[in-house]
Amino acid sequence: MTEKQRSVAIHVPVLARVEGEGALDLRIENGDISQLRLRIFEPPRFFEKFLEGHHYSEIPDMVARICGICPVAYQVTAAQALEQLFDVDIGPWARGMRRVFYCGEWIQSHSLHIHLLAAPDFFGCGSAIELARLAPDEVRRGLRLQALGNELMDLFGARSVHPVGVRIGGFHAAPSLPQIRAIRDKLRAALPEAEALVRWAGSIPIPPDEQAFISVALRHPADYAIETGAIAASDGLLIEADAYDAHFAEQHETHSTALFSTYHQRPYLVGPLARLNLNHDRLPAGIQALLAETGFSLPSRNLFHSLLARAVEILLALQEALRLLDGYTLPDSPWVPVTPRAGVATGCTEAPRGLLWHRYEMDGEGRVVNARIVPPTSQNQGRIEEDLRLSLLNFGLDQPDDALRLHCEKVIRNYDPCISCATHFLRMNVERT
Amino acid sequence: MSTVRILGIGSPSGDDQAGWLTVDALLADGVHTDGKIFIEKLDRPGANLIHHLDGASRVILIDATQGNGRIGEIQRFDQKDWPGYSHGLSSHGFGVLAALMLARELGSLPPRLDLYGIEIGAALPGADTGHEVQAAAQRLAAMIVSSLEE
Repeated sequence: MTEKQRSVAIHVPVLARVEGEGALDLRIENGDISQLRLRIFEPPRFFEKFLEGHHYSEIPDMVARICGICPVAYQVTAAQALEQLFDVDIGPWARGMRRVFYCGEWIQSHSLHIHLLAAPDFFGCGSAIELARLAPDEVRRGLRLQALGNELMDLFGARSVHPVGVRIGGFHAAPSLPQIRAIRDKLRAALPEAEALVRWAGSIPIPPDEQAFISVALRHPADYAIETGAIAASDGLLIEADAYDAHFAEQHETHSTALFSTYHQRPYLVGPLARLNLNHDRLPAGIQALLAETGFSLPSRNLFHSLLARAVEILLALQEALRLLDGYTLPDSPWVPVTPRAGVATGCTEAPRGLLWHRYEMDGEGRVVNARIVPPTSQNQGRIEEDLRLSLLNFGLDQPDDALRLHCEKVIRNYDPCISCATHFLRMNVERT
Repeated sequence: MSTVRILGIGSPSGDDQAGWLTVDALLADGVHTDGKIFIEKLDRPGANLIHHLDGASRVILIDATQGNGRIGEIQRFDQKDWPGYSHGLSSHGFGVLAALMLARELGSLPPRLDLYGIEIGAALPGADTGHEVQAAAQRLAAMIVSSLEE
């Protein structure tokens, strides 16, 4: 039998070590991909339904429970959407500290993904434990950065897992000056480590895998968009959050309990690489110079640059947190009073894994009538399937089964998907006919 | 200076509070954080557990286990019993043993590590802890107090 006639069926019945339940089906017939489905069969979590009837003051703590890794994204997105509806100006202190809080989440989430999930792939390791044998200093550095991100989240959220610091109108409490001085010292000390991380990430060889895709991310007039900005796409779209439904659609596919999102009927990319593709001109000059030094040219059409993109955003988040905490003063109050009003609130921010969009219909007493939350992973689902198809063709369908399986895993891990938020590892059974 | 760090790991889910209850029982027995002993509850620390091992000459770590034992059974795990961990890791599923094995690779384990597990039953969010696990936490605290006096 020639390679063109070979048929291969690769079924991943359960994506192991995932937060959530999913599977991958891949069938190759006569040298072509006849079936490729990322199946998400985890039961729906009904979070949006749970929110109905609840008072606005409960929403930040409730939505924080959606994800153990990126709770800040859910809290801040909800808070900002409702504050806009309630016509509340939380003031410069709370606005700045929300961005710092968010930086903490980017630092911890990206550090964790790079060192515990993605990097082992590129060194032929099956886990971070194996990677630690080859690159102990780099893994230690990654864990230190992750811990620093967690500490920043602790500072504003009282804890890093499901933090409770955000309230509608600002924060429940303000960190003290000694606390801020201490974290500033740590952030400053971590800058050289983050720069070294970028250089290390830039030195890791990646497969040549150029693909055409649309990047979608927030864009801000001056800053690298994290917690504020308009929704932008690489084809020139620039809209506010309330216009999302005019351009983006969610649809149900029978093989997935997570909704698939499309932009003008096409898959699209959200996440660190999409952000860098759209906003690299908003990076500080020092980081742009470092990227030039590493040879990282943007925009990139290779999703294997995602690890490096996360490293770049760690450095950016450290610099941003330091900038915003310089000259820190205690506010008269960390929050402002809020008067609820009926209407529709929409908002979006950049979660570590990409654009996160919320919509709440509220009644006059400040209770949720209905809610809709579009997380990054559901937006990336279609792109992951498209990427797997193109990437496997680039890789070569005649590769051995183990190589095909590992390649699929690496492609999926580029997105750091969370099914309830994440798919991180594939255990595959391979059949050949 | 010799320092002992006692870490009770858990979550607010029924019997999964076993480690926390042991810390509560130790506090009730008069074991408090001072210059030589540091005692703390941790909520699913993941890889961050490694940082909690820093600088201690001895770490006593208590977590819930679910195996084939009877509920409330106390086990002590030697390093040689740690199961092999050869698969990939998830950010969400990075558990205590994975963190300890990573710490071992990085040379970050303390000179002495006492790892205790309390066999648990249901770990439902918001549920109370069962009587067997509450009693086990008391027993384990007494064992730890004795070991501190050695």
